[in-house]
Amino acid sequence: MLSYNQALKGKKIFQDLQMEEIKPIMKLIIRGKKREFISAVGKSLNILLPTESNTSTQSDKLTALWLSPDEWMLFSNETVREDSNHYEIKELLSNKISIKNLGAITDVTDQFVMIELKGNKIYELFQTGSPFNFNDFQNKKGAVTQTILNKIDIIVHNLDKNVANLFVRRSFSQHLFSWMNDAASRL
Amino acid sequence: MFIINCPFCGEREQSEFKAGGEAHIIRPKQPTELSDDQWAEYLFMRKNIKGIQFERWNHAHGCRKWFNLVRDTSNDEIKAVYKMGEKPPIK
Amino acid sequence: MTKNLRVKTGKAIDETYRISFKFNGSTYYGFKGDTLASALLANDIHLVGRSFKYHRPRGIMTAGSEEPNAIVQLHDNSSRTEPNVRATEVEIYEGLEASSQNCWPSVNFDVGGINNFLSPLLPAGFYYKTFMWPASFWEKYEYFIRKSAGLGKSPTKPDPDIYEHKYIHCDVLVIGAGISGIMAAKIAAKNNLKTLLVDEKPNLGGSTIYQNSDHFKINNQNSGSWVEKEINEIKKLENLEIKTRTTVVAYHGYNFLLARQNLTDHLPIEQRKNKTRHRLLKIRAKKVITATGSIERPMIFDNNDRPGILLSSAIKKYADYFGIACGEKNILFTNNDSAYETAISLIEKGINIEAIIDNREEINSKLIYEVEKNNIKIFKGYTIIDTSGYKRINKISIMQLSKDGQKVVGSKINLSCDCLGISGGWTPAVHLFTQSGGKLRFREEDQVFIPNTYPSDQLSIGACNGNLTLDEILRTTPESLIKFLNVKSSDYDNLEVLSEANKFKRNIWLLPSNKVLGKTKSFVDYQNDATSKDIKLALREGFRSIEHVKRYTTTGMGTDQGKLGNMHALGIISETTGTKMGELGTTTFRPPYTPLTFGTIVGRNVGEYFDVIRKTPLHDWHIDNNAEFENVGQWKRAWYYPRNTEDMHQAVQRESKAARASAGILDASTLGKIDIQGTDASEFLNRVYTNAWSKLAIGKCKYGLMLNEDGMVYDDGVTTRLGENHYIMTTTTGGAANVMSKLEDYLQTEWPELDVYLTSVTDHYATISVCGSNSKKIISKIITDVDFSDESFPHMSFKNVKIGKISCRIMRISFTGELSYEINVQANYGKSVWEKCMEAGKEFNITPYGTETMHLLRAEKGFIIVGQDTDATMTPIDLQMDWIVSKKKYDFIGKRSLYRSDTIREDRKQLVGLLTDNPDEVLEEGAQIVGDIKKSPIEMLGHVTSSYFSPNLRKSIALGVVKGGKNMMGQKLTIPMEKKNINVTVSDPVFLDKENKKLNA
Ligand SMILES: [Zn+2]
Repeated sequence: MLSYNQALKGKKIFQDLQMEEIKPIMKLIIRGKKREFISAVGKSLNILLPTESNTSTQSDKLTALWLSPDEWMLFSNETVREDSNHYEIKELLSNKISIKNLGAITDVTDQFVMIELKGNKIYELFQTGSPFNFNDFQNKKGAVTQTILNKIDIIVHNLDKNVANLFVRRSFSQHLFSWMNDAASRL
Repeated sequence: MFIINCPFCGEREQSEFKAGGEAHIIRPKQPTELSDDQWAEYLFMRKNIKGIQFERWNHAHGCRKWFNLVRDTSNDEIKAVYKMGEKPPIK
Repeated sequence: MTKNLRVKTGKAIDETYRISFKFNGSTYYGFKGDTLASALLANDIHLVGRSFKYHRPRGIMTAGSEEPNAIVQLHDNSSRTEPNVRATEVEIYEGLEASSQNCWPSVNFDVGGINNFLSPLLPAGFYYKTFMWPASFWEKYEYFIRKSAGLGKSPTKPDPDIYEHKYIHCDVLVIGAGISGIMAAKIAAKNNLKTLLVDEKPNLGGSTIYQNSDHFKINNQNSGSWVEKEINEIKKLENLEIKTRTTVVAYHGYNFLLARQNLTDHLPIEQRKNKTRHRLLKIRAKKVITATGSIERPMIFDNNDRPGILLSSAIKKYADYFGIACGEKNILFTNNDSAYETAISLIEKGINIEAIIDNREEINSKLIYEVEKNNIKIFKGYTIIDTSGYKRINKISIMQLSKDGQKVVGSKINLSCDCLGISGGWTPAVHLFTQSGGKLRFREEDQVFIPNTYPSDQLSIGACNGNLTLDEILRTTPESLIKFLNVKSSDYDNLEVLSEANKFKRNIWLLPSNKVLGKTKSFVDYQNDATSKDIKLALREGFRSIEHVKRYTTTGMGTDQGKLGNMHALGIISETTGTKMGELGTTTFRPPYTPLTFGTIVGRNVGEYFDVIRKTPLHDWHIDNNAEFENVGQWKRAWYYPRNTEDMHQAVQRESKAARASAGILDASTLGKIDIQGTDASEFLNRVYTNAWSKLAIGKCKYGLMLNEDGMVYDDGVTTRLGENHYIMTTTTGGAANVMSKLEDYLQTEWPELDVYLTSVTDHYATISVCGSNSKKIISKIITDVDFSDESFPHMSFKNVKIGKISCRIMRISFTGELSYEINVQANYGKSVWEKCMEAGKEFNITPYGTETMHLLRAEKGFIIVGQDTDATMTPIDLQMDWIVSKKKYDFIGKRSLYRSDTIREDRKQLVGLLTDNPDEVLEEGAQIVGDIKKSPIEMLGHVTSSYFSPNLRKSIALGVVKGGKNMMGQKLTIPMEKKNINVTVSDPVFLDKENKKLNA
């Protein structure tokens, strides 16, 4: 049996802001240009992929983030098992999409670390190191953006008022998390 | 620092983008048929003008898509943005 | 003891809160609200520094950020020390320590003061002229200059403060919270625009807030009270954010502005701990409103720089705002009505005025009548021709001006004084406007430059737009704001305004004197000691462009960027050369508007956050096992693992031997990994690599070389065919992001017809490489259900396997030349797999090795490292890797460049092996390789790219690039080093196991 070693340990609590890694969350990058691709994904998973830029959609089990006109991130709403990396949804999509040459399905479960932020200082924290204009974004439930924070690529997903998910590549995650904690300590 | 209107994501700051040099230089379909001079023309020669310039940009820290833009290099004003494969909206 | 010149409580002063501070070692007192300048003036101290070149005594001249003279060093000899701070901007706090700059041993007795008497020898361009020749003398001069000049001392200890950056996006940014800025902020915010109002001062209201004269009224209230009421109102507005102590320092294109918000500089040091000192605001505004006001002009006459000479408006502010008399015998010298506003303020506070010198002859306004009513002598049509008093002005001499203002006439009158206020009219503060790329226009009637064309969505309002009187501001501002902000109305549409100053000004850039020009010292740039004489000399010597005159005379090149005197410099040039001011243009104002500390610029990018750090999933294991780390791009990679007292060499020799003799284990997680899918994936690889890919069987791996279009090696790595339309490509650690970006570029722009998708999965996997003759035994202990025989699992192939319940991939590939397996497992299980390998390998003495050993092992096999053995000038042919370049493929990136006339040259630098005559001699990487050492000049043939002592071969080995090296096998070459020449023999770059027997050991 292999043991599981998450990237970021512990929940950090500040006044009006908390952050912690949520794991394991299954994450897939799905790519496709054809119309049949979107409908095949929709039918297989019962989720409508967002086609409008900077938005997301949600089903009971999954959330889909728009990343580019032919690229989405799909992630599980609930955590998955630590003792297995077999994801039924991935297998299902591989059968319906990859094998039929409709597009590409790539497992990125450990490529990205998902950090959940809660509190009313989320965007104040982002302002200390991101050039992105979060003014409208923070009022738009489900909004998604890819941008940079402290020179590191991130994906931000506005889940709800005062709740956001941040995705960052694992190798950057410890540095970014430490940097975010430092900034949060003075907000 | 410019604000660039990515044709896919909307207005973003320049630091999210990477510049890719002059636009509309098409890679020859049959490079082996070209003389050294013709190949050098494709490989090395760039205009770098003062005034209206057509450029390639990549939204490197966003959607990762390449696109073209028209910039007046004398004052950095971006006149237009358009997708790869599209005709320039201005001359 | 010093006198107390506090006359009554000023608007800004809290008299119940006394503060002690030190200046040049002595203790003084001031009140909360004082600046260092106001507190010193209240103690009757004018002399605060020495000038830069002549070391002339200098005093406080202004009450704002334009101050050229009163620059001080704060907290000398401490980690918080800061030079070049303007005393007019320092808010005093308990424990403040300030000292004068540019003087030694003290401000009152300064050795450099001798330069003042030597000044005929120090004209404009003195340094250039004197030190041009001979060049070797420069060192001696430099020593002298540095010691006697020097603008303060930089700190020598680490900065203990915290600095931050913050991005702000707003609809409207208003710069300056004077009367115009306040109106603008209110209109914008009340119309639902997200508005940010910033001002460099601690309080709002600009110079209007302390205006309580009956001559300036708005809606029947004096203008100060009216503005105060407006301030209270805007503070309640929801859409408006107000930031004081915040200076906009730079205005760039696309309405991108930088501002420094000062958060703790006004607090006693002990209260600053763990607080952010400065915050650099990076502001993006849809619209910018510049309301930066205007700066009063001095007047240019002989000896116009003595302590006790201030701008007239500064004297007014010190009286009205801080409740201070700058002197007991005050004289004002003016060419416009502003000085009379000062006079009225002084009269009202009972401060004595000896006389007013006005260069205008015919003057009438209600302000002047009021001053005359108080029996103050006004010399009309007079000018000052000289002043005296070394450390404090004590006398002025005046004469009558001729009708045309070109000469002085009549006889000289001497007047004694201890303070002189000068007013030469007002200069709109257009610095930020011009920084943004705005073009100015010269307004002849009152000789000012004002904004003409805007390069972005912005507007200048109020005094910085040339509206220099209260009625002009109130008449024009609301209307232009309504238009600019595209709103319907403002609260200011029907204001009743009383504004009784007369606009008439008699502008004379350089006032005439009874002496010849060469005998006068009329300062134009106070901080850099540039005089009118210097400017005229520059013109006589042939300088014409104002940018050249500026550099030659150093006018406007101080830390104040000549905020006071630049206009006079232009005026003098214009008059001397007969060029119109409008045609002359101005010099360029460059950011920052006022100086920034390095801390502010750097922000939090210090210490552990200096640069981004990437870590592999095995990072903690490396730390726990004593690894030394190497920076590879942003990655921290385990470099070597010293045991006990081993140094790097010893550790690497041990690791290298173990990896071949039995088993080694390497963290290769940093290699770039790109998942490639799509029906055209094989065709795509054919186009981007030099070799052919279509025939690679599923389950097989292949090494590939990628070129740039110019034919030079760009990257390399192993790519594995996972399925019919599915590959995983590995790239070099440093090249990962660039390769991904380059491949996307070709897919999106040149070959959009290809059905291929690329996804980076570098971080998804931990990559663990186990190599050595015992590696198979170790791996098969962990992965039990796989046939590891050479038949079933040969070199350059891969298998999907499971470790426990976790699926992963295992490739049999080798970068060391040994039998070797690479496990790719999801990152979060990586550490566990590594530990399992360590456990299983214990009986085989499995040895973790780092990047240094990896480099050594591959060099023994002659494998290149892109970026170390190549440098973007090496083709595959140069690398003796012809075997990897497909002759059959019609095209691939860089193919055509491989037979350009330049790339087919025989004498290009080519990769070879190098063996030293003495096998223990290890070459230095980067060392030059030459041919015949006796030939002159020595022919440079190339350089060493990789060099190690090989423990497995027990000799020194090296790779290098040598001109025509391919045909030099066995030839002797020389590597000249500092102390000796090292003889080497050119060899095959593969040093070990040329037959690849070890791969299947
Ligand atoms: Zn984009």
